[in-house]
Amino acid sequence: MKLYRIVLNDVMRRKKRVLYAAFGVVVATMTVIGILTISNAGQSKLLDQLEKYGPNLTVSPAINSIDMQMGDLSLGQLSYGENYIPEDILPEIQQIADSEIRASGIAAGFGPDEKISTLAPKIYINTNINDVKVTVVGIDPMEERKVKTWWVIAEGEYLASSNQVMLGKVAADTLGLKIGDQVSLNGTNVTVAGILAESGSNDDLQVFATLATTQTAFAKEGFISTADIRALCNGCPVETIADAINSNIAGVRAVAVQAVAAAEMGMMNKVNTFMMTLAGITLLVGAFGVINTMMASVNERIRDIGIMRAVGASRNQILKVFIYEAIIIGVIGGIFGYLLGTLLAYIVGPIIFDGIQIAYILTYLPVSLGLATLLAIVATSYPAFRAAKVKVADSFRSM
Amino acid sequence: MLEINNVSKIYGEGHSQVVALQGVSLKVTQGDFIAIMGPSGSGKSTLLNIIGCLDNLSEGQVVFDGQRIDILNENELVSVRRGRIAYIFQQFHLIPSLNALENVLLPIMFSGIKKNGAGQQAAMDMLRRVGLENRATHKPSELSGGEQQRIAIARALVSNPMLILADEPTGNLDQKTGKQILGLLEELNNDGHTIVMVTHDLEIAKHASQIIVLEDGSIVNRMSSQAEKEQTEE
Repeated sequence: MKLYRIVLNDVMRRKKRVLYAAFGVVVATMTVIGILTISNAGQSKLLDQLEKYGPNLTVSPAINSIDMQMGDLSLGQLSYGENYIPEDILPEIQQIADSEIRASGIAAGFGPDEKISTLAPKIYINTNINDVKVTVVGIDPMEERKVKTWWVIAEGEYLASSNQVMLGKVAADTLGLKIGDQVSLNGTNVTVAGILAESGSNDDLQVFATLATTQTAFAKEGFISTADIRALCNGCPVETIADAINSNIAGVRAVAVQAVAAAEMGMMNKVNTFMMTLAGITLLVGAFGVINTMMASVNERIRDIGIMRAVGASRNQILKVFIYEAIIIGVIGGIFGYLLGTLLAYIVGPIIFDGIQIAYILTYLPVSLGLATLLAIVATSYPAFRAAKVKVADSFRSM
Repeated sequence: MLEINNVSKIYGEGHSQVVALQGVSLKVTQGDFIAIMGPSGSGKSTLLNIIGCLDNLSEGQVVFDGQRIDILNENELVSVRRGRIAYIFQQFHLIPSLNALENVLLPIMFSGIKKNGAGQQAAMDMLRRVGLENRATHKPSELSGGEQQRIAIARALVSNPMLILADEPTGNLDQKTGKQILGLLEELNNDGHTIVMVTHDLEIAKHASQIIVLEDGSIVNRMSSQAEKEQTEE
């Protein structure tokens, strides 16, 4: 028979006492797991909402203007600069954005060479189609889709190849075009592949073709008008990225958008911090509860400890007896803490965040077990240490 | 085997000092059955605790098995006690949540001297020795006082100790059961076990081969129990 076996038998026979001690651990763990589960669900709901905000940054050509003056006489403004950005600076922009995100330490889960941000370049060309003035937008279909997550294809299919165009709803109506119709883009023939559902934005009025097709058709090879950067992450340093691009690359202006999203994310972080602080306090209170019950348990068993010492137990063995008991309390506390914490999230979550979808998170079970066991052991070590120091003669005298 | 030289024990400090033992010397040799007698408060339990290195002393020396044990620290004392000194208490001191067999197993388990099966076997043998093998799975609360004390004796025997210390082993038992327990101790002594027993009852002390009488922390009389018996018969 081994020591843990004895402890286990002992615990089984003192179920009530042990469950009472486990109660503190359960309450503490339950709160932490409940808060984690709720905040996780809240975060994913917020991320869902943020998806709809689109890019975080827009890079456009820098058009500078200077005031023309002669003495006190203002002669108005003179604008100079390019209307297009050379395409070959895109990798550099991507690299700056990614390294800024990495430097801020929130790119967990990404490999060192992996692209974190999405870069969607585009070129705008004003032209005539069927004698109607429209804007043709050359896009990278794959990247654009990641930025414009709200796009819905109403008819046909999404723009895929170089001999296709995709139309905004209003543009399709105005031009009188249907799926399969042929269109000439400045002499280059393309087929209408899809029509977007109305979104109330400028997209409704535009004609989308691939970047390469547009560049070739309008003799703008190697140029783009703007690039949207989307680096959706919790608290992305969009301002920092914009500053870095502006100071490193000449001829472009990067502007951070999505201030609302950032503010909401910041709010979410504050709520999270607040809730985690509460959880921490609960944990602390729980720890004191466990210390208390374990102290009581030690005092209650001071005679048993004396007996064990008298029959040859060393101080370490007495410590072990209490630590084993703490582990048992921790495991019980961890399992029930996880179950009740998840239940708590299901009940309280929807009250805190409207329309939140709570999902139990199985990976929190080991977290819960670890937390509860750690709590029980930490809370037990002081009483256990005192128990081990009990002198045999004193333990019998005190009876 | 055991020698106590000029041992004193003082509890407390200053005005509240209590002298429990004063200049006590005693020699225990292999095969002895010694009874320490005296009224309550005479220091007999303190003496027993010091012999069993359960308590530290204020002055003097304790030599056990050729080794001074009064200067050892807690950890060293544990190894001195293990397998060499065993106790039998007035209140039996069984652990209430463990059954009889587990209680008997404790010394083996803590000292780690016997592996699983062998330990279990030795514990069962000891239960058989005290006639309680059919009570192995009973908890102390389900046993009578006499049975509990026999379990405690089995627990003391299981590590085959050099010295058995008994503190009022019959104090909580009725006369008849007390006699049985004393009979068992005498048997053990006849088998070669060395026993030091504390009692306040002369009748019980007479079962020992040597009687030491303590009063106010000092030994006031030493005699062989044979002499004691003759004295009372006069």
